[in-house]
Amino acid sequence: MRGLIALLGPAKVLGAHDDLLLYEYDGAVDTATPDAVVLPESTSDVAALARFCHEHAVPIVPRGAGTGLSGGAIPVEGGVVVSFGRMARILEIDVPNLRAVVQPGVINLHLSTAVAPHGLYFVPDPSSQKACTLGGNVAENSGGPHTLAYGVTTNHVTGIEVVLSDGTVVRLGGKAVEDEGYDLVGAFVGSEGTLGLVTEITVKLTPLPEDKRTLMAAFPTMDEASETVSAIIAAGIVPSAIEMMDQLATQAVEAAVHAGYPLDAGGILLLEVDGPRDGLDAARARIEEICREHAASEVRVAATALDRERLWAGRKGAFAAMGRLSPDYYVQDGVIPRTRLPDILRLVKDAGVRHRLRVANVFHAGDGNLHPLILFDSRLGPGELERAKAAGLEILTACVEAGGSITGEHGVGMEKNCYMPLQFQPPDLAAMRRLKSAFDPAGLMNPGKIFPTPSRCREFAFASTAP
Amino acid sequence: MATVARTIPADPAECAGLLVEAAGDRRTVRIIGSGTKSYLGDVGPTDVELSTERLAGVIDHVPADLTVTLGAGTRMADVAAALARVGQFLPLDPPHADAATIGGVIAANSNGFWRARYGGVRDLLIGTSTALTDGTIARAGGRVVKNVAGYDLDKLLVGSLGTLGVIVEATLKVLPLPEKSDGLVARFDRPADAFGTAHAVVRAPSRVDACVVERSAEGSWILAVQSRGGGPTVDRALRDARREVSTRHGDATDLGDDLRPMREFPARAIDGALVRVSLPLAASAAFADSAVGLESFAALVVDVASGIARVHLVNDDDAVLRDAEALLLAARMVAGAGRIERRAEHLRSRLLTWPNRPNGDFLMRRIKDAFDPAGILEPGRSAFA
Repeated sequence: MRGLIALLGPAKVLGAHDDLLLYEYDGAVDTATPDAVVLPESTSDVAALARFCHEHAVPIVPRGAGTGLSGGAIPVEGGVVVSFGRMARILEIDVPNLRAVVQPGVINLHLSTAVAPHGLYFVPDPSSQKACTLGGNVAENSGGPHTLAYGVTTNHVTGIEVVLSDGTVVRLGGKAVEDEGYDLVGAFVGSEGTLGLVTEITVKLTPLPEDKRTLMAAFPTMDEASETVSAIIAAGIVPSAIEMMDQLATQAVEAAVHAGYPLDAGGILLLEVDGPRDGLDAARARIEEICREHAASEVRVAATALDRERLWAGRKGAFAAMGRLSPDYYVQDGVIPRTRLPDILRLVKDAGVRHRLRVANVFHAGDGNLHPLILFDSRLGPGELERAKAAGLEILTACVEAGGSITGEHGVGMEKNCYMPLQFQPPDLAAMRRLKSAFDPAGLMNPGKIFPTPSRCREFAFASTAP
Repeated sequence: MATVARTIPADPAECAGLLVEAAGDRRTVRIIGSGTKSYLGDVGPTDVELSTERLAGVIDHVPADLTVTLGAGTRMADVAAALARVGQFLPLDPPHADAATIGGVIAANSNGFWRARYGGVRDLLIGTSTALTDGTIARAGGRVVKNVAGYDLDKLLVGSLGTLGVIVEATLKVLPLPEKSDGLVARFDRPADAFGTAHAVVRAPSRVDACVVERSAEGSWILAVQSRGGGPTVDRALRDARREVSTRHGDATDLGDDLRPMREFPARAIDGALVRVSLPLAASAAFADSAVGLESFAALVVDVASGIARVHLVNDDDAVLRDAEALLLAARMVAGAGRIERRAEHLRSRLLTWPNRPNGDFLMRRIKDAFDPAGILEPGRSAFA
C-alpha cells in the first residue's frame, strides 16, 4: 500500500477496508476483496502501476463499471484492482474517417449519444449500455440485441493502446481497417483483461440507419416462436434484432416496465429491421406474414418512435425486472445453432424442474444466444446458489453438445473457467496459453480467469488441463 | 523456388503428423492451397511443400443456421456452387476467386470490395481447426455465430500466412443470396470528383455492396458502385448514386454487376511492383493523388468503402523501388500501413514485402515462437522478421 501511494499519490489509491468492499463484486454472483484499488488518470499512471506490480509479483485486475456477468473484474487471487472510472474521456470524434478514439472508462451509451449529432452511432448495445464501459466491452467482446446483423465489439474496434503486465505500452492497429502482421487487436478483444490493460480504444462509427420497423409478435408456445425465427432467416431476411422472451420473463417485465407485452403468450418475439427506408415495409410485411403462419396470436408494429422505445424498454429492462420474481438470479449465456432452439429450450425447462428452480428466458434468438435466468433465493441458504449453478452447468453442457458455446457475450471469467474443458480439448486450451504467455509471461494479468485453475476446478472431473 | 518434397496429407491428423515430423528434423514447410497467392511475402526455398488439396470439401452446412464448415483446401468456386444450390452465398469476393482456396483466403486475409458491407475474413470466420507443429490440432471458436469462450485465435490466424500452423478446417457465416444485383460505372476528369462521389455514396443511407475508384493508364477516373439486396433497396441505392454522380459532372453508365476486372487487379499486376496500403477512410483521395504523380505510376484501384488502395508501379527498377518506398511512407504519414504485395521476380531481393516493422512486432515474434518454436513454418512470410 505504502509503495503504491508513494508511486501514484494518495488520491489515486484506495486501501481502507470499507472502500475495498465496493470493489469485491460485479454483476455476477462471485465476490473477492482486492488488496488495493488504483484509480489511474493516464496511461502513464497505468504503466507505472504495472511496473510496480511486475516488480512485486502482484496480480492486476482491470475493472470498468463492474456490470460484467462472469466475475471478470473480481480479484479472485487478490492483488490490485485498476478501476478506469477516471479515464473516461472521448478523445476524438473523427467524422470523415468514421472513427472515435476513447479512453476505456467511457460509458457505451455516452459514445453513441455524443456522435448522434453527426448521424452516427457505436453499434454494440449490451443491455447494460447505460452503465458499462467501452474498456469492459473490449475485454468481454460484448454484444447486445443488434449484433445479429452488425456484429459484436470485435467487429467495431480497429485500434487499441495496451499496457502490458511489465509496464510496456504498445499501440496496436489504428484508424485503418487493418495493420500489417498478426491481427493483435483481434486477438486482444475478448481476452477478459488477461492479456493487458487497455488504455485507449479506436472504434468504428456507423451511420445511423435511415429508418426502422419494430414488431412484437406473441405466440402460444416457445416452440412456435422458435420456429418463426428459423423461418424468417430461411426467407432471406436478416433482421437487425430478433429477441425472444418466455411467459415468466414477460410477466416480470410487464410488472416492472409496462411495455405492453401480452401476459397470456407462451413466447414473445421482438423483431427489428433497419436500413434504407425503401424495402423496409416489404420486409415488415413478410415478417408479419411468417409470424401469422406460425400461429402468432398477435403481431404489433410500433407506430411511433415512442412505441418502439417502449417495446425495447421491456427487453432492456428484463434482467432488472427479475427482482419482481426472485431476490437472486443466475444468468447463463450459452449459445446454440439457432435451429436447435426448440429442443434446448425444453431442456432448459427440464433442468429448472429437476433442480426445483424457476427459469425465465429472455435472449437473442436470432443468433442462438440463450440467457436462461435461473431464479433462486440466497436467504434460504447456500444450497440455493449451488442448485442454480448445477442447473446452469446442465444447460451449458447441452449447449456444447448441440454444437454451441458456453458463452456468447458475457465471457468466461471466474464463473465458467472450470467449464472450459466442456468445449475445448487440451490442445485447444494449450494454444490459447501460447497467446497468453506471449502477452503476459509473468501471469499477472487477471489470474484465475478463462483457464481452468487446479485449485478452484478440482471438483470437475474434466478439468485436467495443466499447461 | 527449389522445393525438396511435396506432400499432400489426406486428413487433418496426417497433416499434424507431417508437421511434427518436419519440426523434429528442422525441415522448413511452405503451405499451398491452389497457389494463387504464392507471390506474398519474402519466401525463400523450403524443404517441404504441404498441399491442402485433399483437405477439401463441405464438412457441414445447416442452411437455416447460416454457417458452413469447410475443409481448408476447398476452392472458393466450389463453395459458391454448393451454397448457391440452397440460395446462399459466402460474402467474400477476394481476388483469384475462381481458383483460390478458403484456407488460402483466410491465411492471406484476402478480401474484396464487399468488406465494408458484410465484413472481412476476420468478421465472417467463426471457427477454425489448425494443425500445429507439435502435432496437435487446435480448435478455436466454433460453429455458432456468437461465441466469446476463450481467446479469439481465429483472428490471429487471419492474415498469418501460414506462419503459426496449417488451417485444416474453417467455419464461416453465410447469407441468403440477394434477390437483385445491379451497379453503375461513372467517369470523371478530376480525382476529387470521383472520390467526392465515392465518399458520398459510402455515407448514404442506402447501403451499397461495393464502391471502388480506379484510374487506368488512359488517365480517366472511374467509379464503380454495386448494390445487392431486395429490389426496392437496390433501385434506391443506384438512384442515390446516380444523383451524386451527376452533381459532380460525372458520366454514368450501367455496370451490370461485374466488378471482376477491378477485383482481379492483383492477378494482373505481374511486372514492376504492386503496393497495397490500408488507410483511414478519408485519406484515400490524397493518397491516390500523390500516387498518380509518381514516375512509375501505371494503375490504381481503391476500395473507398474500406480504405484499401493498390497501386501498380512499372518502370526501370530504381524508379519502381523509389516510388514503392514513397507510397509506403505516404501511407504511414496518415497513420496507415502497407506492404509490397507483389513484385517482379527479379525485384524480390531488392524490394522487401515489409520494409518497416509493424506495431507490436515484439509480441508477434513471441507468438510465432510460442506456436512454432522450431521456426519451420513459412520462413519469410512474417511481417516482423
